[in-house]
Amino acid sequence: MYKHLFKLIWNKRRQNFLFLSEILISFLVVFAVFSYLTYYYKNYIKPLGFDYNRVWSVSYNGDRLSKNADSLGIFYTNLNKALQAMPEIEAVSFSSSNYPYSSSFISTGLTQGGKKFNNISDFNVGNDYQKVWSVKLVDGRWFTPEDLISKNKGIVINETFSKELFGTAKAAGKLIGDFDDKNKFKIIGVVNDFKANGDFLLANNVMFSQLDTTNLKWASTLLIKVRETAGAGFESKLYKFMATTMRSAVEIQHVDEMRNAKNKETIIPMLLFIIVAGFLIINVALGLFGVLWYNINKRKGEIGLRRAIGASGVSVSTQMVLESLILATISVLIGCFFAVQFPLLNVFDIASSVYLIAILLSVLFIYTLVIACSLYPGRQAAAIHPAVALHED
Amino acid sequence: MLKNYFKIAIAVLKRRKFFTFISLFGISLTLTILMVATALADKMFNPGYPDYNQHRSLYVERIEIKNTKEGWVNMSNLSFYFFEHYVSRLKTVYKMAISSDQRSSNAYLNNKKLVIGYKYTNADYWNVLSYRFLEGKPYGEREIKSAERVAVISKKTKEAYFGDQKSVIGQYISADNINYRVIGVVDNVSGAVRNFAGDMYLPYTLAKDIKDTRLMGSYNAVLLGRTENDVPRMKKEFAQMVEKLPVPPDFNKIYCNADEFKTSVARRIAGDSTSNGITKVITVGGIFVLLFLLLPTMNLVNINITRIMERSSEIGVRKAFGASSKTLVYQFIVENLILTFIGGIIGVFLSLLVIYLINESDYISSFNLTMNLTVLFFSLITCFCFGLISGVYPAWRMSKLNIVKALKA
Repeated sequence: MYKHLFKLIWNKRRQNFLFLSEILISFLVVFAVFSYLTYYYKNYIKPLGFDYNRVWSVSYNGDRLSKNADSLGIFYTNLNKALQAMPEIEAVSFSSSNYPYSSSFISTGLTQGGKKFNNISDFNVGNDYQKVWSVKLVDGRWFTPEDLISKNKGIVINETFSKELFGTAKAAGKLIGDFDDKNKFKIIGVVNDFKANGDFLLANNVMFSQLDTTNLKWASTLLIKVRETAGAGFESKLYKFMATTMRSAVEIQHVDEMRNAKNKETIIPMLLFIIVAGFLIINVALGLFGVLWYNINKRKGEIGLRRAIGASGVSVSTQMVLESLILATISVLIGCFFAVQFPLLNVFDIASSVYLIAILLSVLFIYTLVIACSLYPGRQAAAIHPAVALHED
Repeated sequence: MLKNYFKIAIAVLKRRKFFTFISLFGISLTLTILMVATALADKMFNPGYPDYNQHRSLYVERIEIKNTKEGWVNMSNLSFYFFEHYVSRLKTVYKMAISSDQRSSNAYLNNKKLVIGYKYTNADYWNVLSYRFLEGKPYGEREIKSAERVAVISKKTKEAYFGDQKSVIGQYISADNINYRVIGVVDNVSGAVRNFAGDMYLPYTLAKDIKDTRLMGSYNAVLLGRTENDVPRMKKEFAQMVEKLPVPPDFNKIYCNADEFKTSVARRIAGDSTSNGITKVITVGGIFVLLFLLLPTMNLVNINITRIMERSSEIGVRKAFGASSKTLVYQFIVENLILTFIGGIIGVFLSLLVIYLINESDYISSFNLTMNLTVLFFSLITCFCFGLISGVYPAWRMSKLNIVKALKA
């Protein structure tokens, strides 16, 4: 039976050529859409590693504060105490400007056993940072004020990074070289992966280090976890307090709003892409439907003859659907050949599993589309009455 | 002759309503998407208000300092000092509008938070750019010299801060715990016009970072020439000045460009300090449009072939009576063009609707997309190309039809 179908298709190769290329291009479009969606979805389902609710960020400009490291240290300690004393505040921590969703990025490298690890997000943070973000420790501990005087500066890294460095061995307590391997850091703790760039984006490896007197002047942000009771009234009070203390421009932002803004940057282009692709697919579906319908009308004589010599309605409509499926298979095979090049040549720096899932989904989608478009014309073919069809010729 | 073709085309369209629907649906939606995209691109490269002197202006917004041996790169806006000390000495520059990047501050009104984005500017900013003053006037050299705490605010800020008061000139607006006296209100600038959008404009002498003598900072500028012919000379003089800039220690090369507006946009999207990104933008944009058009075109070709083959007996008769292949091809292309233009007209209405929806949704503040003549012109061209491409192949296939076979069917 299949041999016969191939013969039928081969006989009409010129008409089928356009049909084939149309399905091929649709396949590639669908593949692009699914790769895009799979990539973002896979990132999206990974846990955040922190809690952004009720966290406010206060950015300030420290230019007018004392340049003397010691008096700056005292100034910050007092400010910290004053804020802690406010009943609406749960926890306070200073931070470099690159906190989650801030669109600010600071990266560094680390060296372990002669191998350099690049592109590690470097967060310079205060002691209560863990409490502000409710970060969970997997291993070891978080910073304490006593760490400031230890010989090797302590750092906290994320779980995936710890596995990349030491495999299954415990990372806490190990020493690791900085970007040019001149100084050693001591890993004191390991936390869950920290997805700070946005919910749909890939998480970087991270490294937290403690703000000390030498780099305190680089801190430009205060992160505050507030209690449920804190409203706009408290915010305006906090604003006045900060603006007077810092003697500079101050901006208070709510991190959950920043998160929405950050996610919007991904969602809006994604929606546009889906709308455009969706329109293309509807277009193609209608086109396929029309062409199949017309082809069947043209083959009335042939179908009538088959019916006359005893073929059942079901077998006629199966033949029609199978014919289109074979055509689709040829296109899909060619399409897969192109699609497989992406993971093989590693065109973009994306995991191969994303492409494989996308290929699978696109194949399913194209088959569904072709079956949906050929079912009705097939049923129509089955309804052709042999006497009427043969009479026309 | 054309009238005849037109009649036939309409008759054919009426014959198979389903096919007509598919064709028109595909054509009109494809063109809608292209038209909206053109309108967006047009807005990006010709933003209009408040910058109407584009043809005699150059834009300076970025400096790159490199150490080519180590591969270090530092990149940022420029310092106020750079413009005041180096650029203002250029002879070809007639006027210069300097403004800082947008910074934000909070204001709290009746327990509601208002975020105000403010910019510091010089006095010539108001002469180079044509802001529409709804009331009051801009600040001038006198206010700048005495560092007066005065502010020009946007209509949006006025409405948010003062409510529906008629006039707010002379009243005080508080941002960062400092009170500024409002001396002017300007019409809103679209958020898409990055360098000129703002909620509040302040004299630069109030900024704290203008004394910094480093090259990098947070300012950008528009250099205005006397006439359009001054622009190339201005560009040359600017480049010579950049060559002579003192290079900071640890670095060996400075890049800074004064670009025409379109170049500056392309450079921001795709270029860097050494390549302006125009070719990249055109190539990527072109490939995208081509790929996007490929699918609907193929679909249309497929449907057209189906429709033409349906008319094989008509073609057979015409051929038998001596019509040449050329005449027939011509007829079918004209018919197809008529079809595309009908689709195009529907497309124009659909794009008007989409543009209206985008403007209403206010996703980018005060973003006023318009359907102007340029956009319409490009849409007509795309319409024409679309019709031509999707008509040629089916017409050619049809003209090859064998008379005897066609008549028999």
